[in-house]
Amino acid sequence: MAVLFAGLASIDRPSFAHHGAAAYDMSKPVVLKNAVVTEFLWINPHPLIKADYKDEKGEVQHWTMEMGSTVSAQLIGWTRTTLNYGDVVTLYVWQAKTRVPVGRFNKVEFSDGTTMRDTQTGADDGGRADRDVRQ
Amino acid sequence: MRNPYTGAIAGLAGVLFLSALAVAQNNGQNNAPRSPWKYYPMDRATGDGGPAPKRDLTGTWAGPSSGSGAPRSRTEETPSLTPLGRQLFERNKPIGKFSPGGTNDPHTRYCDPFGLPQNMTQEIRGMTVTTLPNRTFILLQYMDLWREVWTDGRTLPTNVGGRGRDTLDPKYNGYSIGHWEDDYTFVVDTTGLAPQTWATKSGYPHSVEARVQERFHRTSKHDLSVTITMDDPKLYTKPFSIGETHFRWVPNQQIDDFTCIPSEVQQYLKEMGDPAGDPTVTR
Repeated sequence: MAVLFAGLASIDRPSFAHHGAAAYDMSKPVVLKNAVVTEFLWINPHPLIKADYKDEKGEVQHWTMEMGSTVSAQLIGWTRTTLNYGDVVTLYVWQAKTRVPVGRFNKVEFSDGTTMRDTQTGADDGGRADRDVRQ
Repeated sequence: MRNPYTGAIAGLAGVLFLSALAVAQNNGQNNAPRSPWKYYPMDRATGDGGPAPKRDLTGTWAGPSSGSGAPRSRTEETPSLTPLGRQLFERNKPIGKFSPGGTNDPHTRYCDPFGLPQNMTQEIRGMTVTTLPNRTFILLQYMDLWREVWTDGRTLPTNVGGRGRDTLDPKYNGYSIGHWEDDYTFVVDTTGLAPQTWATKSGYPHSVEARVQERFHRTSKHDLSVTITMDDPKLYTKPFSIGETHFRWVPNQQIDDFTCIPSEVQQYLKEMGDPAGDPTVTR
């Protein structure tokens, strides 16, 4: 099994170092279930995902999250139309230490059950598995 | 009787299968028709390609941030600063410690040019080398920039940033000359660097008089490395290594566009970087 993981580990993953992780709480990613995409900005240095999330109290939080650079995201299948206004998705995000509703995007689950990850997941999320994600 | 190699074979097969699966998922392009206009990071040069051609770096290369599998870079060693060097270093707030919201890195905040040597160590994706009889040009994908390295035997200028009619202005990429040290090692020396740029992402400064030496060493047809050292007696007590970057040959010679756009950075900082900035982080 160690060999298997060694094989997988050899697959390249872009570095998280572009803008660093100093601002984010990487210990406990949060999950935004049934978030509604309000804008997907395909910009440099990082595309921004903007989404509205209704919390347990029914209050709407307006979230903004960044992902890997456009060129890195393209390498794993992202395009400027991967997310669109009105899409209902589940978003996983490492929230800013300031506790404002911004953060580093981790992955998205679409309504059909498929998933797309950020360029940085895997080695760059510290090796944490999804079971550690706080629901 | 159980074959003692069965486990190993199964393990190897598993590695190959999972690697192929992961690459396919990671890339999503294996069965797609190829465009001559597109960069395919998984269409990689195989092996070392044989011996390096003599005195030839010409072509397009993929760096460690390109997704092409080029080995990771080695970063700078911790240098020994002079009192003036420490004073300048302590003014700088690198993004690694201060996040996009708290850094004063001029590239992060405003897309200002990296300048040399940082443009040979940061965002290293694609690089093309081309030559004329008297010059070598180094073209970098990130920021769509080009460098001019004179190979006509001239010496480096000594009057950059000084006083007098013949003085030269400092430049972001400085003034560069190059020569072949042997058939596979091209050495580039540069001085006259614009002092407002940072030498490294971690905020180490440089002066106009800094001397940067890059050694482009082609070890095979498909492999190229660049090691960089800097000597700047005003700010450092001795020369030090800025790092080493590795490149792999790009089979179709195509590299995608990527640049820092000031208006987009301002939007990014306003909506993301500044709100995420952590004011409690101190140096």
